[in-house]
Amino acid sequence: MLFRNILFFMGESWKNLFRNGWMSLASIGVVAVTLFILSVFVLINMNVHHLTEVIEQDVEIALYIDEEATSDEREQLVENLRNHPEIKKADFVSKEEGLERLRDQLGEENGLLEGYENPEDNPLRDAYEISMHDPEAVSSVAREIETYPAVGGVEFGEDVVENLFDFTGVLQVTVMGLMVALALTATFLISHTIRLTVMLRKREITIMKYVGATNWFIRWPFLFEGFNLGLLGTVIPLVGIYFGYESVLQWIDANLKFFPSLIPLETAMGQVIILVVPLGMALGIIGSLISMGRYLKV
Amino acid sequence: MIEAVNVTKKYNDGNQALKKVSFLIDRGEFVFLVGQSGAGKSTLFKMIIKELVPTSGTLKVFGRDVSRLRGKEVSVLRRNIGIVFQDFRLLEEKTVYDNIAFAMRASGASPREMRKRIPQVLEQVGLKKKVYSRVNELSGGELQRAGIARAISNRPAMIVADEPTGNLDPQTSMDIIKLLRNINVKGTTVLVATHDQQIVDELKKRVIYLEEGRIVGDQEKGAYVRAL
Ligand SMILES: Nc1ncnc2c1ncn2[C@@H]1O[C@H](COP(=O)(O)OP(=O)(O)OP(=O)(O)O)[C@@H](O)[C@H]1O
Ligand SMILES: [Mg+2]
Repeated sequence: MLFRNILFFMGESWKNLFRNGWMSLASIGVVAVTLFILSVFVLINMNVHHLTEVIEQDVEIALYIDEEATSDEREQLVENLRNHPEIKKADFVSKEEGLERLRDQLGEENGLLEGYENPEDNPLRDAYEISMHDPEAVSSVAREIETYPAVGGVEFGEDVVENLFDFTGVLQVTVMGLMVALALTATFLISHTIRLTVMLRKREITIMKYVGATNWFIRWPFLFEGFNLGLLGTVIPLVGIYFGYESVLQWIDANLKFFPSLIPLETAMGQVIILVVPLGMALGIIGSLISMGRYLKV
Repeated sequence: MIEAVNVTKKYNDGNQALKKVSFLIDRGEFVFLVGQSGAGKSTLFKMIIKELVPTSGTLKVFGRDVSRLRGKEVSVLRRNIGIVFQDFRLLEEKTVYDNIAFAMRASGASPREMRKRIPQVLEQVGLKKKVYSRVNELSGGELQRAGIARAISNRPAMIVADEPTGNLDPQTSMDIIKLLRNINVKGTTVLVATHDQQIVDELKKRVIYLEEGRIVGDQEKGAYVRAL
């Protein structure tokens, strides 16, 4: 394509966009809404994952060893834990270490642990702290290792983990459905806007055909128009998301002192831009391709 | 330039607009195509520029079978044919200059060529003083001059004009047909479909007579009414 033609096509496409004022605005609006919802969803999703990872580090199974277990059974247990594919690592914590930790946590001045100085009186049991490769497997693995020999009991944060994954699962399906519907509406509106331009420019198009313009010479301005509509549709959500997310971060910072920190603004925006800008362009181009397929057969 | 052999055109509704039409038009000729309304003149012109394709038979333009032309080749064909319309087909809100520039750009001319060529063609059609007038300020004759200026801007080898004087008064019609004759004298093949007896009789050029889709006569130095 010649450079002077590119300039010409872009100029034409902007003229067309302004000529169709209201339709263009509607198209841009729907693209903007689509991409805004997508961005919000992506941010929520990213942060849920981020928070899950933070929580995940605490999600471990505590396995208590049966006091009565023989040393053979204990060896068998170690072997089983080592060979389990889902288990990342299993750290042995003796009951003495356990008591020591408890002291640290409760503080020296706390009198709750008085009377346990004598090792014989230690109320705790030997344990393994187990972490997983996949946190979603926690409950099934917990149930499985409960049946191993020498196991006196198993504890894990069952409810929190499962609910977190359920929530994101349902949210994902709902938002995906909504997204698809909105994206279809957006492409439909864009193709409609372009069709409007094609109608308005019918005379020009006919003349161009008669004087021997190539198909692509006629089509390019319409492709650019769709592209512009899509691109303009990304500006509003990006600006909105930037300021919106910034104020959410500030609010959390000011009001929820102990809430784990969310993904920082720059990182989050980077992800959103990478996703939203190409998608906006794609919606625009697909929209104009649809209307061209239908109305610009040369 | 044009070689038609048994060209037949049947529209989708079954209407047979042309029936086994054969003729030959050489480089540099001036040819009138006359016949009653509905005789098939416009249909034939549309096939020459490949707006339509023959249902059967072969139509060769510039030595190439138009039915076989694809994509870009159709563009090349049309760039070599200047088309003049009864209703002018100009862009009302643009100036004469911009109308021609619009067409030249669409057919691939550079801005430099346009600046050089547009004054030339306007001079040739006698419209130099209206370069920057808007099209909706022009008279009928001026409109057709602008249309012809546009048609010759790409230096086409051939001009096809479908009832170019259909919307003009007799005197203006004579001026326009003489303009086309002058263009023809410089070497461009000209093909004119018309109902206008006056212009055909004045020029005394070759006339092809169409009647209900058939060629019923073809005379050198013919008149509007076919000599028997
Ligand atoms: N798109 C079409 N579909 C069906 N029939 C058509 C179509 N265009 C033209 N015809 C028919 O084909 C025949 C030839 O039409 P055409 O326009 O070629 O005639 P013409 O000689 O140009 O007439 P006029 O002098 O009125 O312009 C007519 O019977 C017309 O009704
Ligand atoms: Mg006709």
